[in-house]
Amino acid sequence: MNAYTQVLFKNRRPNETVLLPEYEKNGGYQGLRAAMKMQPAEVCELVKDSGLRGRGGAGFPTGIKWSFFPADQPGDKYLVCNGDEMEPGTYKDRQLLLADPHQLVEGMAIASYALQAQIGYVFLRYAYEDCFQRLEQAIEEAVEAGYLGENILGSGFDFELHVHGSAGRYILGEETSQLNGLEGRRPNPRSKPPFPAQRGLFGRPTNVNNVETLATVPHILTHGTTWFQDLALNPESAGTKLFGLSGHLNRTECYELPLGITLREVVEDFGGGVREGKKFKACLPGGASTPYLTTDHLDVMMDFNPLEEVESRLGTAGVTVFNEDTCMVAVTRNLNQFFARESCGWCTPCRDGLSTISWLLDRIEFGQATNDDLAMLKDQVKNIKGRSFCALAEGAMGPVEALLRLFEHEIIDHIKQGGCPFAC
Amino acid sequence: MFQFLRLEYKGLPYRWTQHDKRIVFYVFLRVSVPPWRIDLKMPKLTIDNLEVTVPDGTNVLEAARELDIVIPHFCYHEALGSVGSCRLCAMMFVDGPVKGLQMACMVQAQDGMVVSSTDPDAMELREHVIEWAMTNHPHDCPVCDEGGECQLQEMTVAGGHGVRRYRGKKCTFTNQDLGPFVQQEMNRCITCYRCVRTYRDYCGGTDYGVFGSRNRIQYGRFQDGALESPFSGNIIDACPTGVLTSKPFRFKTRLWDLQEGPSICPHCSLGCATIPGGRYREIQRVKAGINRETNGFFICDRGRFGYDHANHPERPRQARLDGQPVTVDAALLAAREQVAAIASKHGPDSVAFLGSPRSSFEASVLLHDWAKATGSLQLVYEAHQGRDRAARTLAARLGKQVRSQEELRQSDLVILFGADPLAEGPMLALAIRQAVRNGGKVVVIDPRPVALPCVAKHLPLPPERLSEVLMALGKNDLNAFEADERSLLESLVEQLKVAQRPVLIGGADLLGGQGVQALCSAAEQLSSEQRSVGVITMLAGPNSYGGALLSGHGPDFDSVLDAVQEGTVRALVCLESDPFREARDPARAQAALGHLELLVSFDSTANLAAQRADIFLPTRANAEMAGSYVNNEGRLQAFLPVIDPGVPIRETGAGNHPPREFFQTTPGSAPEADWLLLAGLLDRKLNLVELRESIERDHPQFAGLSSITAETTGVRLTARGDLPPAEEQELPHAATAEALTLMAITGQVGSRWLAHLSSPLAATEPQPYVLLHPELAAELNLATDERARLTTHFGHCHVIIRTDEKMLKGLVMVPQLWDTALEGMVPGGLLDCRLEKEVQR
Amino acid sequence: MNELLPQKQINSFKDKASEISHPHEMIIDLLRAIQLHHGWVPDDGVLLTAEVLGVLPIEVEEVATFYDKIFRREVGKRVIHICDSICCWTTGAEMIAEHLKKTLGIGLGETTADGLFTLLPTCCLGACGEAPAMMIGFTTHGLLTTEKIDDILQRERAAVAAEV
Ligand SMILES: Cc1cc2nc3c(=O)[nH]c(=O)nc-3n(C[C@H](O)[C@H](O)[C@H](O)COP(=O)(O)O)c2cc1C
Ligand code: SF4
Ligand code: FES
Repeated sequence: MNAYTQVLFKNRRPNETVLLPEYEKNGGYQGLRAAMKMQPAEVCELVKDSGLRGRGGAGFPTGIKWSFFPADQPGDKYLVCNGDEMEPGTYKDRQLLLADPHQLVEGMAIASYALQAQIGYVFLRYAYEDCFQRLEQAIEEAVEAGYLGENILGSGFDFELHVHGSAGRYILGEETSQLNGLEGRRPNPRSKPPFPAQRGLFGRPTNVNNVETLATVPHILTHGTTWFQDLALNPESAGTKLFGLSGHLNRTECYELPLGITLREVVEDFGGGVREGKKFKACLPGGASTPYLTTDHLDVMMDFNPLEEVESRLGTAGVTVFNEDTCMVAVTRNLNQFFARESCGWCTPCRDGLSTISWLLDRIEFGQATNDDLAMLKDQVKNIKGRSFCALAEGAMGPVEALLRLFEHEIIDHIKQGGCPFAC
Repeated sequence: MFQFLRLEYKGLPYRWTQHDKRIVFYVFLRVSVPPWRIDLKMPKLTIDNLEVTVPDGTNVLEAARELDIVIPHFCYHEALGSVGSCRLCAMMFVDGPVKGLQMACMVQAQDGMVVSSTDPDAMELREHVIEWAMTNHPHDCPVCDEGGECQLQEMTVAGGHGVRRYRGKKCTFTNQDLGPFVQQEMNRCITCYRCVRTYRDYCGGTDYGVFGSRNRIQYGRFQDGALESPFSGNIIDACPTGVLTSKPFRFKTRLWDLQEGPSICPHCSLGCATIPGGRYREIQRVKAGINRETNGFFICDRGRFGYDHANHPERPRQARLDGQPVTVDAALLAAREQVAAIASKHGPDSVAFLGSPRSSFEASVLLHDWAKATGSLQLVYEAHQGRDRAARTLAARLGKQVRSQEELRQSDLVILFGADPLAEGPMLALAIRQAVRNGGKVVVIDPRPVALPCVAKHLPLPPERLSEVLMALGKNDLNAFEADERSLLESLVEQLKVAQRPVLIGGADLLGGQGVQALCSAAEQLSSEQRSVGVITMLAGPNSYGGALLSGHGPDFDSVLDAVQEGTVRALVCLESDPFREARDPARAQAALGHLELLVSFDSTANLAAQRADIFLPTRANAEMAGSYVNNEGRLQAFLPVIDPGVPIRETGAGNHPPREFFQTTPGSAPEADWLLLAGLLDRKLNLVELRESIERDHPQFAGLSSITAETTGVRLTARGDLPPAEEQELPHAATAEALTLMAITGQVGSRWLAHLSSPLAATEPQPYVLLHPELAAELNLATDERARLTTHFGHCHVIIRTDEKMLKGLVMVPQLWDTALEGMVPGGLLDCRLEKEVQR
Repeated sequence: MNELLPQKQINSFKDKASEISHPHEMIIDLLRAIQLHHGWVPDDGVLLTAEVLGVLPIEVEEVATFYDKIFRREVGKRVIHICDSICCWTTGAEMIAEHLKKTLGIGLGETTADGLFTLLPTCCLGACGEAPAMMIGFTTHGLLTTEKIDDILQRERAAVAAEV
């Protein structure tokens, strides 16, 4: 098993949370100090040069997003950290916050300075009460030490940071829903444009980034862009990534690995191979919305562009592995049920289309389906994909589409046999 | 290839063509360009190979409609805007600045766009959206009240979805009781969010919302109970399917059997477009018509549920002569001869003519002609002196300053002086709300609390000081005001300086002639080359303005009463008016009118004049006739009949099947249009078109009358009226030390005469109440909701105490209390009163 | 438990709401506080939230009914959220759910007769590495086995008994 440079997890110890003294001792808040000596625009430029891409799922280049932000517009501006993390198979942000929460605090202080946003919110899902408490503690320490609040490190820059605990629902991970949620409105997504950078929280310019994205920023400021780019195994990429392993693996843990590592290495070395000596059949490479990878893809680099080349996505890098005995219809059914249940109910394709797909997958799985149902499944996918209001339904189509593309024969087997071929 | 069918689409003529698999709706609607947008960019785009140029900001769905191509849609509504949630209005953007399949409602038209509505992918998506929307639908069209005007049915056909493939379990919901107006049937919901957007966003209601998520979205109130908004009925029109239907209309008629036509609401002076529907000889419902200049797409609950006066069981339907039933012809002849006889015996001025704001403009003109033919100068169009003077002053003064509801919606500063829109013209409140939603500000100067569906600043001042404020504002001299009043007025002056499209609103009841005079003068004084200050005044009825134009230099009704008292006026002709109740001082009117030799009444309701008339002629209700009204901005608008009058079958059958007897004539069908009766009496043309032409010839100032049709937005008359004679003194009320001052006000929704006669509204009328400031209540040792006894010189009645912090401290306010000893108090008047705690027995 | 929220907390919410320009943003905070104290959010809780924040009851209800972790119906003293998403499903969540149903004698969405436990399915709890998982209150329990569940239920029963 290769040992890779640990950045985000360098201080991590099982069942412990790093507090301020230790964080500072290990180089913490050096990034903030460095940033405060630069112009805000220079910080943006640095992050842009580093090649950091968003870790929340969409992989949008962070520096470019920041450069669109109207930092010099007067009045309130907000920085929101997206810690909703409700996509099945994704648990990396929790690991990061439990282990070393100051990284996020520091990252947000830097980002707020770069964007000249005075107020920040960390949006945390309901189930992450443990993270909530660790984060509040870290914020308290940081305020005490002058890293947050008024006149940060004597720079004259103020930034206040709040933590908001949510009350469930995956859609709040979508950034515009999250803004509605923070405002205390019904968390349906908003139409874009206007983008949050123009009209976000309370109608003011707002930047939304993922926990891991923001936590990475201090390290870039401390160590520079070249160092960051060299972390990745893929020369076209930059940095490390938290991979949360789950499913039929021997070791289902969260690892910090370089971008560009192969799926094989993730599964076999870090995941310890498939449980009970079974064979690998397929996996979700990055959460419930990412199209399946199969044995054909074991040597693909786990990175943004290479995965898109094989019609999948890196997503959140939550790798869920399925063994050879798994019925892919049943897997898809479970995933689709999640999306149907978590639909916000705003647009028709998602609200009623996903439940139609659920019904079709039920029929297939339980052997009631005919070829007409298969045809109907196909036309449903075609008309939901790219037609919904936000990306939730789009994501939901990832696995269904992959099922049709990679495992159509399993569907046909179900239809022919009038039941599930994998049922024991 | 083309097959034309006619469909009724929410009251609009709808034509659709079936072209291969594609179905496109054609609807005769146009995007109008508001005057201040004329100078804007006009992008040109190509839709289905046809070029169209539209004002900047128009979305592609509307642009297509310009070409008569109607893309199926649910969530988009012109008044509610685009939200893009239903995903039905898909079009393919083939070339230009936007590419690919898009929701047409969410894309603004831009130069060079090439768009297709017939693209296979777009059509396939539309079909699927309908399929999804229908997954949980109960398919209960045969028992659904929406059937026949269901947009979901139409879109299902238009979208090409015919066979349901989904056979799984359906979601079901529990319905709520939403009160007397709206019936809910949640299972039919397709989740288009139009009801909440109408109720909350557009109408400003606060008690209706959307709950739950995913495919378990439900709409309703927090708890069961009557919807509180005075615009609640609009969600019935807004709902594209049968979730929200009219409760009073429930199960009465299948919609394809309902007779409908374009009409104008008879309840206030705003002239909102309505579409009444009738069957079985009764008016059964009213829904909003579309007039972009006036009401837009909505109406108030008073207009919607106030149709039932036409079906009132006590409505007089028989002509009478000296208490005996006679034919209409005999009564008409008698009226003509007896009036002529009195005029020739006692001189022409011994006959007085009293028109009304309720009459058609045509009948009002004919009344004028009758008075002229008789030689009488005793012609009045409004029994209430203050309202009469207000209308006549407005008609004499209003010029460029006049504003429509649409212009009000675009205003950036609205100031109300003695105007309570929810009482006097509810849709004006909705227009003000839209102004606020567009960024405008509102200030209210009024002794009443004046609730509005938007935020407003409020300065309570007694009615007699409103003119003072107006004059001070016009002259920009606020020295006469106390410091606390002055601070608000000063900020008003500042706002008035910078406002681009300010509008001053007044109400006839509180302002009277003097106040309207001051309102118009202030608007003129505040206007400049750069911007004109607008004026809107709420008058008493749908044709107040028309009557005012015809009043000339005539007397007001108080002086007619003097003449009756003195014996110089011996005959009175009442055209749809009731001086016994409507005069400023009904007690005095009742005493004076007892001296009359002859009382002639034309009416469609059982009021006191109709009951006491020597000669009575039944007239038709507004929805039973064609005619026109002139609204409070001088807009002349036509309306058409929906049904012919007759005793409702429901009544003749007393709940069972009507009797199996056969008659030559329909029972109760004698009532005729007011103008038809008068034309007959005057030997004039009996055909409306010819009548209108002849009116135009005789009265050139009403040019345009013969050209209006009920489908158009109407024409604004340029004719001016004459100022009324110099103002008379105030109604005597001795403000003695121990007496309280009582002010009559118009209550909400059901409080006006026609509304009061309509059972759906009457059911919501509150118990008699008085309104006072909590401090005054405390002084009188009265508590909210407590019962009290209210005494005036009319008599006494029992009332409930209500308090409101926002109102003027020194007044007690009482809404018109029909069917009590105090029913004669007309809004606006001040009286002495006593208010005592009810002794518990 | 009958009280919605202690007066002291109500006052502090009121103070905070009067300081900020967007009191709506505290709706969730207040609903969560009421739920933590009272166990669930009854109609009166919605009305209290509206009153404290100066917003419309309907606005509170619209938000409250959207979220699955705000209980608008009475629940037991301990709410058990069993994850039924993909990672737990691959590692036997269905068996876990069956075991819980059998042990407690209730179905999903139901509350035990003694008012102790309510069983609710939930989407992924962010404990995928320790699947199968469930959450009781705010505590996540991972790597579940039937024995471990029995043990947890036992401890929860004891804890509830100690509270009384
Ligand atoms: C349905 C849906 C759920 C999402 N959930 C999350 C989430 O839990 N956490 C997250 O960081 N981003 C989530 N996103 C992505 C966010 O919308 C947004 O792109 C992201 O927070 C941006 O941060 P990044 O650029 O740092 O990745 C979700 C998007 C969608 C459409
Ligand atoms: S795709 Fe539509 S219904 Fe689904 S979550 Fe997004 S907006 Fe809501
Ligand atoms: S009408 Fe355009 S999306 Fe609904």
